[in-house]
Amino acid sequence: MFGYITIDKSEMLVKDYEAYKAVYCTLCKQLGKDYSVFSRFILNYDCTFYALTALALSDDCPGFCSSRCRFNPFKKCNYLKNDTKALSLAAALTVVTFYYKLVDNIADGSFFEKLLCYIILPYASSWKKLAKKKYPEIDAIVKEMSDSQFEVEKDEQCLIDKAAEPTALMLARVMELLEDDPQKRRVHHNFGYFLGKWIYLLDAVNDFESDKKHKLFNPYIIKYGDSKKEHIDEIRQSLDNCLSEALLSYRLMDIKRFDRIMENVLYYGLTKRQKEVLENKEK
Amino acid sequence: MNPYQVLGVSETATDAEIKAAYRELAKKYHPDNYAQSPLADLAEEKMKEVNEAYDKICEMRKNPSSTNAYSNSYSNTYSNTSSQYGANYTHSDFPDIRRLIREGRLDDALQLLNGIQGTGRNAEWYFLMGMVYSKKGWSEQAYSYFQTACRMDPTNSEFRSALDNASTRRNYNPSGYNTVSSAGCSMCDICAGVMCANCCCECLGGRGCC
Repeated sequence: MFGYITIDKSEMLVKDYEAYKAVYCTLCKQLGKDYSVFSRFILNYDCTFYALTALALSDDCPGFCSSRCRFNPFKKCNYLKNDTKALSLAAALTVVTFYYKLVDNIADGSFFEKLLCYIILPYASSWKKLAKKKYPEIDAIVKEMSDSQFEVEKDEQCLIDKAAEPTALMLARVMELLEDDPQKRRVHHNFGYFLGKWIYLLDAVNDFESDKKHKLFNPYIIKYGDSKKEHIDEIRQSLDNCLSEALLSYRLMDIKRFDRIMENVLYYGLTKRQKEVLENKEK
Repeated sequence: MNPYQVLGVSETATDAEIKAAYRELAKKYHPDNYAQSPLADLAEEKMKEVNEAYDKICEMRKNPSSTNAYSNSYSNTYSNTSSQYGANYTHSDFPDIRRLIREGRLDDALQLLNGIQGTGRNAEWYFLMGMVYSKKGWSEQAYSYFQTACRMDPTNSEFRSALDNASTRRNYNPSGYNTVSSAGCSMCDICAGVMCANCCCECLGGRGCC
């Protein structure tokens, strides 16, 4: 997970922003409770969005309360009152994805990166074990993503769709976990699939220059060669397509609350993030 | 289910409000939006629900005595045009493959398609490849297959509408506001404005400012 799924604060009502922050802070607290104080540092926006989606779909309202922040005792934060499954699922997803990201970095990082990863690895591994005990399905899903990503990257003629498939399927499956009804699971699958694809592709655009320098796998380098400047419109279209499909799926979901926050993410947050990444590289 | 809830309006809403809510939902779930999407059938169901709710409210308001009367006689403005997708062709070289795609057996369809070699790969073959990939979520592949299908047979309306739908989805602007920065007042616009103002000053007998 890369932290691309964010809100656009300027397009938000203050009450919605407070609610979003409450979800963020509660996930942080949940990480501390389920794993360790240090696991709070790996909190990210993608997993916050996952928690938000899970809460938006759940039947009972979480409710809010306020208490002090662990990192800044002078500040009072809003938290969700009830302990919900949504947050422990999101916390498990956070540590599991973090662990596999580390393993991936060890495989193709620079020397110092590897060193750093090796230092953190034992902690991450112990958190992952705890998470696996609680939610073995999450570990299985992320592990499969990591394995198939490794397979895909061996293909030197890899298509964009194929390269994005492992990440897309990972998010599709974790979204499916939030629903039991088979028809609705299809909607969730599609929603997660295209969000995951979008995350993967945007990350590929973001890493284009550094992957070129270090001769690492990148589907856009395979398709467009060394220069992506002339193809920036095509790249934008491939990203836009993922967002359109995700929005179509979102409209078929049973959203019970937080709809304005979800729409803020889908309408403004994602496009803003995408624009930032594309324009940064256009210069 | 309460038809008012389906449309997301209160029972005291005016006719105009109800119509507006209905239009909004009909636009959202219109089958054209979901053409080639793996979720097309679910969107169609939703659309039907919305249509029925609207018909029911209209009937109830027109005829308050029979609140439970339910008539389907209203002609829906937004009919399901695309439910016949894949069924409205007059002649097909690959009827079996089309059936497999309709049933959602994508891997089988792909295997059969890949078995066809050489001259068998006509425009329809490219179109069907596009359909399979589109349903699989491989939209980049699907798009290029639809493009080839349309290039080979530009007159076919089925291929054309598939390509048009795919192209529409490649532009994302749900909030309706233009995110292109140059649409606002950029530095260039400001400079041009100042230069124009300066010219005007000179015309009116002033000396300009530079």
